[in-house]
Amino acid sequence: MLIELLKEWNVYKEPIEPNAINPVELEAIHDSKYIDAIEQVSSGAVLNGIDIFGLGNSDNPISLGMAEGARYQVGGTVLGAKLLIENKAKKVLQLGGGFHHAHHNLASGFCLYNDLSMAITEMVNHGWHVAYLDIDVHHGDGVQEMFYSNGNVMTISIHESGEYLFPGKGWLHELGQGSGRSLKLNIPLEPFSEGDSYFEVLEKVVKPALSWFKPDALVVQAGADAHFADPLADNLLTTHDYEKIFRQIIDYADKSCNGKVLFTLGGGYSSTATPRIWALLYLILNNLEMPEYLPENWKNHWEQILGKTIPNTLHDKLPAYEIIPRRDEILKINKDVIRRLMDSVSQYWI
Amino acid sequence: MLIREVMHLNPISISPETSLSDTYNLMNDNNIRHLPIIKNDLLVGIVSDRDVRLATSKFAKTSYEPGTMISEIMSHPVETTRPSEPIEVAIQTMRQFKIGCLPVLDDYKLVGIVTVANLLDAMLLMTGVHYPSGRLDVRLKDRAGEIAKLTKLIADRNINIHSILSYPDANGKLRVVFRVSTMEIRPLAKAICNADFEVLWPIQASCVE
Ligand SMILES: [Zn+2]
Repeated sequence: MLIELLKEWNVYKEPIEPNAINPVELEAIHDSKYIDAIEQVSSGAVLNGIDIFGLGNSDNPISLGMAEGARYQVGGTVLGAKLLIENKAKKVLQLGGGFHHAHHNLASGFCLYNDLSMAITEMVNHGWHVAYLDIDVHHGDGVQEMFYSNGNVMTISIHESGEYLFPGKGWLHELGQGSGRSLKLNIPLEPFSEGDSYFEVLEKVVKPALSWFKPDALVVQAGADAHFADPLADNLLTTHDYEKIFRQIIDYADKSCNGKVLFTLGGGYSSTATPRIWALLYLILNNLEMPEYLPENWKNHWEQILGKTIPNTLHDKLPAYEIIPRRDEILKINKDVIRRLMDSVSQYWI
Repeated sequence: MLIREVMHLNPISISPETSLSDTYNLMNDNNIRHLPIIKNDLLVGIVSDRDVRLATSKFAKTSYEPGTMISEIMSHPVETTRPSEPIEVAIQTMRQFKIGCLPVLDDYKLVGIVTVANLLDAMLLMTGVHYPSGRLDVRLKDRAGEIAKLTKLIADRNINIHSILSYPDANGKLRVVFRVSTMEIRPLAKAICNADFEVLWPIQASCVE
């Protein structure tokens, strides 16, 4: 949907085609038995005991060719890392990827292979310090876990609190281990959190974190599922908020790591909002003008396929939703979360 | 869950002749708060860091010198447990006697020690939080077949239940907290709600779309 939209606007540039990563390379972050199991069932083999790898349930069903698909996604994100390392680009957008729930030996939450961790590993092997920022509404548990005691990688995840949302992790007290201590930051927000809370997190947590850590590059998981229309979660970002967040992140990258930033997509389950959010990201990164309206052809075509009404503008119309009764309380709780996190890490950030 | 699954193995122990100051330092160095006291391979007493601090406090009625033998102040006889005891029995013992630890004896031999921290860890494990999952809290009628009806709903959607925790609620109802490995907890909650169960978590789950 996204690509058709960009094509309709005549702004779509053919992307650089990645090669799928090969299974052996994935052993840098995944268990070889896990990789084996995925590769085999993906080519039609029937295996017993794959439940322990989290495969074959409703979130991670088995389908033919899924391994190749996942490896192609990893290839794309790793290619993005290489473009930054080789100085061929400063800002890279991978039009896919973002599989942050994939663990060392466990498929979870629609994720098989962790493209983000592979890309970060590529950068770390090049001697870089890498900051990872995850704005998907779900906690970036797979990435955090793989680098939990790694002193070269800072992970920051802004998500709806695990009390309410999958995967039930990403608490304030998860601060990292050993040399990774104070480098793993989690901001669990109240359900129905709005843009203001996100901006405050960016200003009071992300900004000081990046300026203290001074990464060589920033990797961003730009999940669109914190949008108010998303059916899987509760947070209430509008497209206007997303635009501001994207611009802010790019500004931080310019100031803290010489502009080197790799964006991936991520979760986003509202078919009417997600393409508009990622189109914004594409337009911003390419310094293009923002069209006010969506192309009529595109809108009609997809409305027929989806059986849903798509707004006729790129941005959400405001006010986008009714005022939340608990608004002030939510804001207060989120402020407190920020304060507690900064209190915990400030003793380390010297 | 049994004591052997949660206890510390090979606990540090001391002899009755150990001085208060040595005992105190041993606790400090190992970051522990309880030491069993062993004589001729038998457990003869136990001492906590609080016991040692109170015994040497200026505020105590009789303040002991740092060189005093631990046998002067140790608690005995000692409440104990065994590896095959269910943890719920041990917890009741600890609550009854208001103590923070139980030495674990097997055939009179000290084989482990279990503390409040071990039991909290066990509790946490039972809640299933260590696995990527969503939380579902349902209030049920406390009668045959209710849980089966509910779990069938979940199974029919090919969702794995990672853990189940239940406890009695008011008015003869039962509360059941599941951890289910799915991102789509809300559609699931809706289906359960529509099947006439009372869903308490995720909050604000509403029945009909
Ligand atoms: Zn997500």
